[in-house]
Amino acid sequence: MLEVAVQAQTSAAQTAPVQSDQKVIEVQGLCRYFGSVKALDNADFSISKGEFVAIMGPSGSGKTTLLNILSCLDSPTAGQYYLDGVEVSQLEEQKRAVIRREKIGLVFQQFHLIPYLSAVENVMLAQHYHSVPDKAEALQMLETIGLGDRATHLPSQLSGGEQQRVCIARALINDCAIILADEPTGNLDEENERLVISLLKELNAQGRTIAMVTHNPELGMVADRIIKVRYGHIESEGLDDA
Amino acid sequence: MFLTIISESFKQNMRRKLLAIITVGLAAALVTTLLSLVVGVGDKMAGEMKSYGSNIRVVPRSDTINLNVGGVEYNPLEGRDYLEEDQLSTIKEIFWSNNIVGITPFLKVPVFLEGATSHQSNAPYKLNFIGTYFDHVIPIEADASYRSGAKITHKYWRIKGAWPLDDKTDQVLIGEALARAIKANIGDKLALIIDNPSLSSAEKQKNAATLVTVSGIVSTGEAEDDAIIGSLAMAQQLSGLQGKVQSISVSALTIPENELSMKALKDEDSLSPKEYDTWYCSAFVSAIVHQIEEAMPNASAKAVWQVTSGEGAVIQKLQTLLLVITCAAFISASLGISSLMNTTIMERAKEIGLLKALGASNWKVYSIFWSEALIIGAVGGLLGLLLGAGMAYEVGRMAFSSPLILEPIILPLVVVLSILTALIGVILPTRAIASLQPVEVLYGR
Repeated sequence: MLEVAVQAQTSAAQTAPVQSDQKVIEVQGLCRYFGSVKALDNADFSISKGEFVAIMGPSGSGKTTLLNILSCLDSPTAGQYYLDGVEVSQLEEQKRAVIRREKIGLVFQQFHLIPYLSAVENVMLAQHYHSVPDKAEALQMLETIGLGDRATHLPSQLSGGEQQRVCIARALINDCAIILADEPTGNLDEENERLVISLLKELNAQGRTIAMVTHNPELGMVADRIIKVRYGHIESEGLDDA
Repeated sequence: MFLTIISESFKQNMRRKLLAIITVGLAAALVTTLLSLVVGVGDKMAGEMKSYGSNIRVVPRSDTINLNVGGVEYNPLEGRDYLEEDQLSTIKEIFWSNNIVGITPFLKVPVFLEGATSHQSNAPYKLNFIGTYFDHVIPIEADASYRSGAKITHKYWRIKGAWPLDDKTDQVLIGEALARAIKANIGDKLALIIDNPSLSSAEKQKNAATLVTVSGIVSTGEAEDDAIIGSLAMAQQLSGLQGKVQSISVSALTIPENELSMKALKDEDSLSPKEYDTWYCSAFVSAIVHQIEEAMPNASAKAVWQVTSGEGAVIQKLQTLLLVITCAAFISASLGISSLMNTTIMERAKEIGLLKALGASNWKVYSIFWSEALIIGAVGGLLGLLLGAGMAYEVGRMAFSSPLILEPIILPLVVVLSILTALIGVILPTRAIASLQPVEVLYGR
């Protein structure tokens, strides 16, 4: 079953991504300071609709801080952040929560699944806070990512790769146009890493905008573009030719 | 989904949730007991306080008409006018009849004690024979077998021996001081001679050999200590005043006086119609006195203020104390819940952070904890109610020799208060949820 799903994903990944010039994410002079520590300093870049961008850099470079701001989980100390053309950098927490549930699908390195909820219930959780839980739809989503037979399992009964796919299913269930992933393969073995990357490529091919934080140069190669972060600065943009 | 989260939360933290339910349950049990006491203590305590004497005295109206002769108050009719014995039942048929717990008539007759002489003058020993009801039937419209008498209204009388029986007119109580003076004991027979100047010699002669048996020695600390107390029938027979009584003691359950009743006491005419209705339909001693006078136009009823005001003050203070303890119990329970919820929220910070990251508003997250508090409050309240009902029953039985029965109003009150206690307990901890940033808990910052 898993192999069938992988094959389906690989085939889908070969489909050409849908890109446009419309900027869904644009940051200008973005800074995030923690006391005297400049985690992010004067960052400028943009991401177009349908683009697959890898945000790369060594540990502590500020890439997760950047992703947290892009996910509206955190606010910048200074600078502007336009999401779908709307300035969201200084919105209060409750308004940022609305943006998170309406526009953004989050994929975490640590999966962050609720331990006492089954796989399908974890997916339905995102529906619950977005609109109305629909179990059939959640089961269909798990089926799509090859976890149909694991729907009633608790996270503790799933492998790391399966947990990450549940996390991705949760990010996708509300049909968000933007997927922001923080080290989505950081805790996975090679085989599961390949599975998750294929899945992300497929989603991108369907027209979703994806920004993925990783420090793995090989993973960066699957993206359309790489944004390199070092010491809180955007060092370069473009395909990694290093 | 919401119910799944709540039920799983209970399953995952069963021990802590049980602890919270027990905390609310114990507070609810205590509050149920205390509220039962607050509601019931008025009647129970008033009943207990009645053992210190009646609180209303009814006498013939003429007894209260005083003349001022040369600066001295004088009532030429005092002790010469009487009330009718068959009027007693009318007292038990006033608007506040259910609050009338006892009625005792008295008729005082001066007598000589044959064979005994005064220490000072060698003259025959002169004393009062007080006729009364000990435990006598007073037939009223609603209850033909209603009984009352000194046993109910004068519980403070200490009897050595036995109470006389009303239907055995030769049985009497002898006052403690008198018994000491004439060296009388239980079982002794005493001969009474009527001392009534208005009776003819033949009548005096007829009563000369009235023999009575001492069934008990009474100590009251009042005039009865120097008297012989027997049945009303015998007093009437000795005095020839058939069907007459001199005064009536009434025990009534009353509520503490307030501004309205004091205004009525000064001048009933100063009350507006609405005030009059409120006063009349409240169990103020002044309202009951007024209603007795309405029922017995030839009588004057007076409140025994020392007893009445003492009762009101004690009961009111007791109720205030119980209410304060009730509040303290709920505050303690709230603090306990608050502490437990605080720990729960700290433990579930990551989960809360995730829910917020997924776009849950603060209200949605609050609703999880409020619902948990609601369940804890409701379950704890119901369990506490059961426990409290049992405790109230026992407390009533131990303190007042009759169980305190749970008033229906207490049931919803305790459950609502328990839920409020649990909800108040989560207010402070849930404020921590608002300040909890998802990025801080998910990334451990």
